[in-house]
Amino acid sequence: MNWWKHVMLMELRKILAYRSDFWITFLGQTLIQLLVARSLWQMIFASEGVKVMNGYSLEMMNLYYLIIPIGTRMLSGENIGFVSREIYEGTFTRYLLYPISVFQYKTLTYMTYSLFYGLQLFLLYSLYRLFFTTSSITVMDFSNLLLGVGLFLLASLTYLLMAMLIELIALWADNIWTLIVMLKFFVTFLGGGFVPLTFFPALFQDILRWTPFPYLIQVPAQTIMGMSQSQDIFRAIALLLIWALIFMELIKIVWKRGEKQYTGVGI
Amino acid sequence: MIKVSSLSKTFTSSIKEPGIKGSLISLFHRQKQSKEALKSVDLEIQQGEIIGLIGANGAGKTTLVKILAGIVHPTSGDVKVLGFTPWKRPNEYRKQMSLIMGQKNQVWWDLPALDSFLLLKEIYQIPVAQYKRNVEFLAETLMIKDQLKTQVRKLSLGERMKIELMAALLHNPKVIFLDEPTIGLDLSAQKAVRHFLREYQKEFRPMTILTSHYMEDIKELCPRVVIIKEGQFVYDGALSKIQGVLGDEKVVSVTTQSETFRIHVPRQDLANKTHQIFQEHDVIDLNIQDPSIEEVIESIMRTGVHTT
Repeated sequence: MNWWKHVMLMELRKILAYRSDFWITFLGQTLIQLLVARSLWQMIFASEGVKVMNGYSLEMMNLYYLIIPIGTRMLSGENIGFVSREIYEGTFTRYLLYPISVFQYKTLTYMTYSLFYGLQLFLLYSLYRLFFTTSSITVMDFSNLLLGVGLFLLASLTYLLMAMLIELIALWADNIWTLIVMLKFFVTFLGGGFVPLTFFPALFQDILRWTPFPYLIQVPAQTIMGMSQSQDIFRAIALLLIWALIFMELIKIVWKRGEKQYTGVGI
Repeated sequence: MIKVSSLSKTFTSSIKEPGIKGSLISLFHRQKQSKEALKSVDLEIQQGEIIGLIGANGAGKTTLVKILAGIVHPTSGDVKVLGFTPWKRPNEYRKQMSLIMGQKNQVWWDLPALDSFLLLKEIYQIPVAQYKRNVEFLAETLMIKDQLKTQVRKLSLGERMKIELMAALLHNPKVIFLDEPTIGLDLSAQKAVRHFLREYQKEFRPMTILTSHYMEDIKELCPRVVIIKEGQFVYDGALSKIQGVLGDEKVVSVTTQSETFRIHVPRQDLANKTHQIFQEHDVIDLNIQDPSIEEVIESIMRTGVHTT
């Protein structure tokens, strides 16, 4: 399994190959999203005239929106189209030629991105807490940070399988772009990526608790902030694993159909 | 050995009428059409043999190569390559096989070739000594040593093709499928690739199937050719038997004040014939070329050389 290490190192080299892209996504994108969310929530809190909304103070909201951009990037791993783009371009063929499992290869490349963004999240959140936060509402705790980043990694694996299920449809369908964008939108919306789920109606929150969505974004983010109880974390781990198994079984069905219809387009 | 028996492949695709009306109708109903890419073909290739697979665009040669490489499932028929069924893709088979596609990249564009090679070394579990020897030999023969540390996307088309060849041959495959390896290359790069393939074949004796649109590739590398037309083999035999069509004939295209015409001329008559054309016509332009693949096939069909 030495090739695992080489695949991950090679992906890492690819991430670091483009300097401007690295800095723009690391700092630029995160800070812009944080600033936009911060000014919006400042206005909302001011107009409502309250200190706490649905369990979040303004400062906690700032922390939440510091975590979300990098957290969702961890989730998205190698980014959308990581399989379908290669199928349409014809480069997917190489994974069928090499004496390795295409699923292992893609999981490794995807998780390399997730791990890399996880490290970014760890660093950025630690620096932010050390230099900018003064509140005593949430206490900076490295074990929470580690646990939260770990949950994001598990969530990335589940999301990878969910996305793979859609991406593999490209083996026979001409265009799956809309499906991928819809998946990304629903995961962000129902996972608490736009607003925390505590702002949703109670019944809707109860239903969502049985889906993988809250555990993909909100629960890991809340864990980092020290807002999750141990039973929330256990539930998140259990549900992420159960959904991962369900997606794996569905992938087997899609792959069985897809590989027979694959025509090796572009060659 | 490669053994192909009664192999057929049918592709199904949807068709759409042109225009906005056709687009609107296709939202609700699409007509399907089937195309038989291969029609019950049989083939046998022995270890160390190199065959040239020639045919017009859409004749079915790439489909055959894709099936043999295990990328595409056939509709019916049986194939055994080194005793394996290719589309089941067992690792033992994939470790002994390589597919090189002239217009598609398999190495990673964002990285220098050596990085890709190192990964391939691990994927194919190539022993260190063999890896070093092969990189040395391949880089030397292909004259690409200085480009191995450059990001692949920054290389020229010819250099990229050489890198592709290196990547595909690092593990010393016993079976090689070369799909248009010289397409798009300039004449000197084509020559270099042909020279390399000849040397490699001599040194390692793999089973090789080469598809090409360039008759030079076939003439220089393949003692045996298979001609495929509309999914069927129309000729399978020695190159020497059809050498007359492949090598002894030229196509002369002539443009005069009043007309344009093309004639096939035996090589030995070329000087006399062109002289005659200049005497008889008011020539504006005259061009001498090898016959196209399509013309070669038509000529072979006409002269009645059939499957052995």
